[in-house]
Amino acid sequence: MAKRDKTSRTPAAPPAWATGADGLPAVSQEELLRYGRHLILPEVGLQGQRRLKASSVLLVGAGGLGSPLALYLAAAGVGRIGIVDFDRVEESNLQRQVLYGASSLGRAKIEAAETRLADLNPHVEIEAHEARLTSANALDLLRRYDVVADGTDNFPTRYLVNDACVLLGKPNAYGSIFRFEGQASVFDARRGPCYRCLYPEPPPPGLVPSCAEGGVLGVLPGVIGLIQGVEILKLLLDLGETLIGRLLLFDALAMRFREVRLGKDPTCPICSEQPTIRELIDYEAFCGLTPAPADAESFEIGPRELAAALARGETTLIDVREPHEHEIAHIEGARLIPLGRLPESLGELDSSEQIVLHCHTGERSMRALEFLRQSGFRKLRNLRGGIDAWSREVDPEVPRY
Amino acid sequence: MKVFVPTPLRSYTGQLACVEAQGATVGELLADLDRRYPGIRFRMIDEQDAIRPHIRFFVNAEQVRDLGAALRPADEVQILQALSGG
Repeated sequence: MAKRDKTSRTPAAPPAWATGADGLPAVSQEELLRYGRHLILPEVGLQGQRRLKASSVLLVGAGGLGSPLALYLAAAGVGRIGIVDFDRVEESNLQRQVLYGASSLGRAKIEAAETRLADLNPHVEIEAHEARLTSANALDLLRRYDVVADGTDNFPTRYLVNDACVLLGKPNAYGSIFRFEGQASVFDARRGPCYRCLYPEPPPPGLVPSCAEGGVLGVLPGVIGLIQGVEILKLLLDLGETLIGRLLLFDALAMRFREVRLGKDPTCPICSEQPTIRELIDYEAFCGLTPAPADAESFEIGPRELAAALARGETTLIDVREPHEHEIAHIEGARLIPLGRLPESLGELDSSEQIVLHCHTGERSMRALEFLRQSGFRKLRNLRGGIDAWSREVDPEVPRY
Repeated sequence: MKVFVPTPLRSYTGQLACVEAQGATVGELLADLDRRYPGIRFRMIDEQDAIRPHIRFFVNAEQVRDLGAALRPADEVQILQALSGG
């Protein structure tokens, strides 16, 4: 700060921080007050704060991980925050997606996020991209940001984000969660391994439940999302030691962090010296997720039709949810075989019988059906809308969750 | 030795995150795990005895890519599985 007594006679030139004459963005008195606790950190200081203002981060996904990330990055003063998401806010989001409240229900997440973040910090710019990240738009979108944060909830988008970051030479602050477990790292192929060096391929579809199916502790994405947040600020400020080359594992039940070292895979298909992937590919196909089979509908059975078939004793009903979901609500007479146990339970099923599969809303059971079909079963049906539809259309005594 | 099991495979270990198993190599360790928790090996190793590409093994925090890698009783083995949730 200028010393007043020495400069009181001749009007001093305003300092560079107020004008931006040195190339970094100018900050206002209001911002000085707001970021005071950063300014007195020698590692950040006024220059660091102005660097944050000059920087940009793209959040892919504004869900469990993206919510705390967006809030803290905006509060910290990251100048331009892009958010890509296409979902609407649902009740079941509010247990962990702290960016939203009761007043956001039914609104586009992007829109609700903009309102909340503008209130939190009017000095940062929020760029809302209401879209699904695809191979067609990813490079153009990611190109415009310094750092990308992977907070999506599916494998195809995770591989897409990785590949686009490798092709563009951007760091990817990575986090993923399931139940009580989290993983975090920074993938930057210029300086270390990429996501494909760690996991060359995703698990086969269907046999690993997502958070929507397997559940997640509400606070967990807060812990992992903010580890991503810390790493992003360090990357932008060039501070400390980042998670490049390390994977941090978090077990909330044991309350233990573990760490493993990651090396670059010399045979990595995208970041090695002889890459076989040179442009973005079809990630749904790569992850084995062919869009719902064209004939998916022909395998469906409606709740009322199922009730009639059960009454005639013509069908075996299999519930592929988890035991604790079964405890909350179940259809009388259904046999419980959780999806993950299906492969080892094949021998107990009779392929000559008519089998109807059901889950909570119909997705997991469709995957179970696909698995059984590939295993040679033919007389298969999937309960459309799952036990949720059963409760709405056949038996309201069955609780919805 | 101590083996840390990822969440998606804990349905085999009675939800235990950390279990005991023995073996002079990673391959032997997995065979022992399968005796204790039937079915768990097949979720990590395919029909051709290759490590599934979404499963990774780390011994004392260093990745091993070979089932023949030697183990000592004091080693800690971490099994990793890719998670998609966010």
